[in-house]
Amino acid sequence: MHSAHHDDVHHGPRTLPAVLSAPDVVLAWRMRAVIVFAVFALLSVGLLFTPLGPQHFIRSWLMGSMTCFNFMGGALAFLMVQYLSGGKWGLVLRRPLEAMTRTWWLVLLMFLPVLISMKRLYLWAAFSTPEQTLNAYKQGLISQEQQICINLKHTMLSPTSAVVQFIIVFTFLGVLITLLNRWSIARDADPAAGTMRSYDRWRVAFENVAGPCTLFYVVIMTDFVIVFLKSLDATWYSSVYGLQFLVAQGYAVLALGVLTLILLSRYEPIKTIFRVTEQHDMGKLMFAFTMLNIYLTFAEFLIIWSGNLPDEIPWYLKRIHGGWWYICTVDVVCHWVIPFCILLSRDFKRSKARMVWLCCFMLFARLVDMFWLTEPNFKDAAGNLHIAGNISILSYVTVPVALIALWMWFYLTELTKRPLIVLNDPHTAEALEPEHAH
Amino acid sequence: MPPIEGVYGLLAEFNTPSELVHATEEARRAGYRRMECYTPYPVEEAAEALHFHKTGVPLMCLVGGLMGLVTGYGLEVWINVWGYPLNIAGRPLFSWPAFVIPGYEWTILFAGLSAAFGMLAQNGLPQLYHPLFNAPNFRDGALQDKFFLCLEAHDPKFSRKESRDFLEQFSPVSIVEVDH
Repeated sequence: MHSAHHDDVHHGPRTLPAVLSAPDVVLAWRMRAVIVFAVFALLSVGLLFTPLGPQHFIRSWLMGSMTCFNFMGGALAFLMVQYLSGGKWGLVLRRPLEAMTRTWWLVLLMFLPVLISMKRLYLWAAFSTPEQTLNAYKQGLISQEQQICINLKHTMLSPTSAVVQFIIVFTFLGVLITLLNRWSIARDADPAAGTMRSYDRWRVAFENVAGPCTLFYVVIMTDFVIVFLKSLDATWYSSVYGLQFLVAQGYAVLALGVLTLILLSRYEPIKTIFRVTEQHDMGKLMFAFTMLNIYLTFAEFLIIWSGNLPDEIPWYLKRIHGGWWYICTVDVVCHWVIPFCILLSRDFKRSKARMVWLCCFMLFARLVDMFWLTEPNFKDAAGNLHIAGNISILSYVTVPVALIALWMWFYLTELTKRPLIVLNDPHTAEALEPEHAH
Repeated sequence: MPPIEGVYGLLAEFNTPSELVHATEEARRAGYRRMECYTPYPVEEAAEALHFHKTGVPLMCLVGGLMGLVTGYGLEVWINVWGYPLNIAGRPLFSWPAFVIPGYEWTILFAGLSAAFGMLAQNGLPQLYHPLFNAPNFRDGALQDKFFLCLEAHDPKFSRKESRDFLEQFSPVSIVEVDH
């Protein structure tokens, strides 16, 4: 259907190449991911034998797994949102997003060590009955506030209910991800493909699933991050915590998605379909997420700072005092100031070479943010960031990098399993039009 | 200001955007710079053919935003630290987190207004008179279904005879000489 205008190169639509699968270079990237994984896994094992090594290992493992969960869950959220919103940006991102979601079982496996080592990480798991919390309080292991909060939150935060919530979350994710991925292939294989009837049928089917499931996802993801990350501090409450994670997931997934597309756009078939127009649109979306992220995090800080209440403010004091001020500043500068200032520029958003660096930088900023959220929860690190005699804190670099590299290996493998371009979608023809055709 | 008299330019009328874009590209290649396209809806190719890419609006928006930031944040600092210092729950007078929101609000207000008014100013608006409306076919067609290219008389390359001959080669529907 596109060959009719083939002779008119300047004004007519471009033609898709015959082969739509991922280029061989993806296999080379995958190899690099394996090498990074191997090197950082070895370093992580080395750090395991330093004093405090085991406890930093499991904490940084939690941070790494949570970062991978953010990629996978954020990709699912974006996949559903682009089915609901439509638009050509979603069309070109769809296959990378699907590949990210199909790593859900790997993320599930990554969380098994967290479940097994629950007692080392969470106070509510170490002391799960009123008798145990009372004893721990008497022995000075926990404060009275912690004792009261752990007893109060027992229904949600206990080893059994954490496992139950874990199973519910991953079952929901697994079923939804399998369904969306199956349908996406079935849509392209539809015998009526290319007709209005087929377009409408699939559009409505995806919308009907994505609509309610986006809502369920937000609820279920909020529950998951509260149970497995926020609850490291058993005394603190925050109603915006899940939403912050949702935005952070969008931030990370867009950075990774745009990075994937730009690197793939040097080769067919993405070279043909990925226009500067869509890259610009995604750049604007990245800008929006950068802004929304600081909006939510600063709003929370401002409210807690204004209230200055003894059961809220310690969360920030632990993350500002005793050396944490540097991490906190680096977090704000890297996560917001730099991407914000850079993404203001139209030319930057339209430049492939420059956006590659920004995407990598934003992924790095995510790690800084996750570190700042995770480590100060623990008694030995709260308001006390130090490296002397505490060398194993470097696990926060080695373990997450190793886990993300492993995750990348699976992501890139999944990326090679399907054609990179969706065919049975009216947006495909539109994305093949010249840049400025309206 | 004394009234300007004489020829404003030559206005060529086309039926399709492609013809307009082609004529504009050729005119630029021939050395014309003072020219303008008029279309009933945005035709980005025409903007490209005119090499009309950069405008001053982003810079105005940025400068406006920075002015708003300095004004809003500065106002809060001044009023809280020097103008009318109040002890609020024992917090320092310079409580920077509290000043961020007004600073932010002023930034977007000034940036938005600078962008909107800057755009109007750069477009030369409001403009109550434009010579092109002297051409009857322009009045009727520019908002409906016609595409116009105007070679303006203050282009150094402009000449009534040669420019008309130049436009003739694209077989426009009409070429009208427009007076001031």
